[in-house]
Order: sequence, then C-alpha cells, then structure tokens
Amino acid sequence: MDWLSTTHDAFALLFSGDRELWQIILISLRVSLIAMLIASPAAVAIGYFLATASFPGRRFLIVVTQGLLASPTVVVGLILYLLLSRQGIFGSLKLLFTQEAMIIGQVLIALPVLVAFTVSAVQGADPRARETAISLGATPLRSAWTTLIEVRFGVMAAVFNAFGRIVSEIGCSLMVGGNIAGVTRNIPTAIALETSKGEFAQGIALGFVLLIVALGVNFALAFAQGEGGMK
Amino acid sequence: MSGVLLTVETLRKAFGSRRVLDAAQLRIDAGESYVLTGENGSGKTTLLRVLAGLENAEVGACSFDGRKVDLGLYPDWLRQEVIYVHQHPYLFRTSVTDNIAYGLKARGLSAAVREPLVREAIAWAGIGHLLDVPPHKLSGGEKQRVALARARVLKPRLFLLDEPTANLDAEARQQTMALIRDLCDANSAVVLSCHDREIIELPHMHRLHMENGRIDSQNGLNAAAPIPVK
Repeated sequence: MDWLSTTHDAFALLFSGDRELWQIILISLRVSLIAMLIASPAAVAIGYFLATASFPGRRFLIVVTQGLLASPTVVVGLILYLLLSRQGIFGSLKLLFTQEAMIIGQVLIALPVLVAFTVSAVQGADPRARETAISLGATPLRSAWTTLIEVRFGVMAAVFNAFGRIVSEIGCSLMVGGNIAGVTRNIPTAIALETSKGEFAQGIALGFVLLIVALGVNFALAFAQGEGGMK
Repeated sequence: MSGVLLTVETLRKAFGSRRVLDAAQLRIDAGESYVLTGENGSGKTTLLRVLAGLENAEVGACSFDGRKVDLGLYPDWLRQEVIYVHQHPYLFRTSVTDNIAYGLKARGLSAAVREPLVREAIAWAGIGHLLDVPPHKLSGGEKQRVALARARVLKPRLFLLDEPTANLDAEARQQTMALIRDLCDANSAVVLSCHDREIIELPHMHRLHMENGRIDSQNGLNAAAPIPVK
C-alpha cells in the first residue's frame, strides 16, 4: 500500500464534498449529539444525587457506575440487540437497525461516563460552595445548580469524555445499527467496512474527521476552562 | 430592639466517641451581640453550624422569635432570618456583584429591586474597587468583606460569623473589624466565634465561653454577662 497516495486520495475525497462520505459524518454527529442531549441532563442529575445524598447502597451504586465505565460497547450492543430484535421485549417497536436504536445504545454507553465523572466532580467540590448557597437561602434545586456551576469544568469534562467515547464506539452501532448505507452507517462502522474492503482512502478520511472531532472537543474544553486550561 | 430571638434547650453532638457539643441551653436576644470564646476544638464552629442548619445535632426544644422550630429540618422561613459566614468565606466563581446578589436572587427579588440593595451593600463594605476583580483573586480580607456584604444585604435577624478576623493581616483585620462593629451596632443579633481581643472587648458584647462543647454561662439562661464598656 502506498501510504502517501492513499492519504492524498483521502484528503481529496474529504474536500471534494463526496456526498456519501459527508452523509456518514452527519449521521455520526447527529446520532451522538442527540444521545448526548438525552443522556447528559439525566446523568448529571443522577451524578449529583449520588455524590451528595446519603442512603443505603449509595457506595455500591457508585462502584457499579465506575465499573460500567469499562463495559465493552459490543456487550451493550448485544443486550440491546436481544431486547430490540423481533423476539425481544421491545421487538414490537421495530427499532432494530435504525438510528433510534443507535441513539439508545449510545445513551446507555454515555450514562456511566457522565454519572461517574459528575460524581467525581461534585465530590471534589469545595463543601463550602453548597453550604454557602444553602445559608444564603437557596432551595435544594438552586444549591445543586450552584454547586454544578462551581464544578462546571469537571461536568464539562464528563460531557466531552462521554461524547468522545460514543462518537468513536463501533460495537454497539454495528450490532443495533446494522451499518446500512445512508441510514445507520456512521464513521466507526464505515471505517471498519472500508478497511475490510481494502478501501483505505475513505477509511483514512473518516479517521481524520474522527481525530478532528476528538481534538476539537478537547480544545473546546481547554478554551472553556479559560487561562487555566491552556497552560 | 430587645426580647428573646432564639432559645435552644439541649444541644448535643458527637463525632464518633468524641462529644463536641454538650450545651444545656442557649438564649440569644434580638439585636444583641455575642462572642464565643474558647480553645480550638471547644465546639464554637460546631455550635454555629448547628444553629445555621449546616450540621445535624441532638437538639431539644428550640424557638426562634417565639415560633417553635426543628433545627434538623430547618424551615425555609428560618433560612431567611439566619446567615452563616464561614471562617474562610467561599465566593462563587462569578463576579463580586453577582456574589452579593446571590441571596437576593434566591429570594426571587427582581433585578430592579436587587440593584440598589447590592449597590448599598458594596458601598457599606467599601469594596467598590473590587468589582472587576475575579473573586478567586481577592485576598482573605477582601473575601471576608464581600462575604459580610453578601450576608448583610439579606438583612437577617441573626448573623453567625465564624472567626471573621482569623488569619487576616493588620489592615484587613481593621477593615473587617469596622464592618463587624457596624453589624453589632445595627438591629440584628450577631453571634461570632473568635480569639480576637478587640472583638471580645467590644462594648455591649456578651461573652459565651465554650469548653469541651459546654457553654460556660455566667448568669443562667441568659448565658452570658455583658462585658463592661471600657
């Protein structure tokens, strides 16, 4: 394989406005962004609750969540496949091999990342922040919001990490999406397919996009952190 | 202003086997100023935190302004009446102005109502020159003054101040002292813990000495005798 010409072909493909390539990119971003919009508010709320509430089993739940950080995405895909397949509990919804199924899968993959990072961020917060808010008359909801704002960089790191994980995961997307061209083919599944066919140019072009997305997300986080993030 | 503001019968708290609070009774009169003295670890901060509802404790009958209250549940109306300021105050990562307006916003006051109150509080604390400085870059004394302004703007009936002049340099201490003197002269009751003789010897300051979690009251239920004016 001539790496130089393949890379040249990849960039030519990327900047030629190839419809199929850009459709793959758009599907990938659409599915992952919707999954993040669904998962983030709920997960951050759960994370805050786990970090601040006191109830039996709390420690166990935190450990389970941290354990799920390392869960193989293909296993999540397999379980979801069984639930969504025709014989599955949710088979009647006919969601298998749709973008909706991919979104559900990515929500499930993002949740533990978001919850665990939020727990860590809130537990690391200065306890005086919440106490000050409470003492100044904030309701529990407002004091929770204030605390989350105070640890916003930790929460943002949670969001960006979760996005990075789901936008690049392949196991679940392949299992429940089916890699259907123009419908459920996203960047990771397309890279796997094109590479298996020996079409490295498109694989490299998509890989480059994935890299740009990952770097962009990290730069966005560093920029949001202000002067501290760029040191 | 006079009359009983807060009474608490029995205040007990332990961390493990160590009892940090074991007070039989406490009475705070409206508009009066009290200083908690005692060695480190004698229970001063814990007492203030329990009264602020930030720490659970075994509390007997308690009333505020004649209304029975459960300090464990700490009703919302009591939050409007009592403000606690940490020894090292925490300022939110926003502007100084927004810090001072925080409690007013929490009370649902409109911007039009908030603005003059915040301006007045800023002028009171003499922190007009700090408005453009990020709170995390303020010195300890400046943070203390912002925190006092943030508390005072809410016009609580009871201020709970934990070591407000501790670890401040001479100039910052004098500036903070001036604000504390002003708070003590106003209509609110003030309970503060400190080792600072200048505060302890302020005119009309009642002394509550704490030892091993007990309040050493000098005149029964009133808990403390005013220190003679010098």
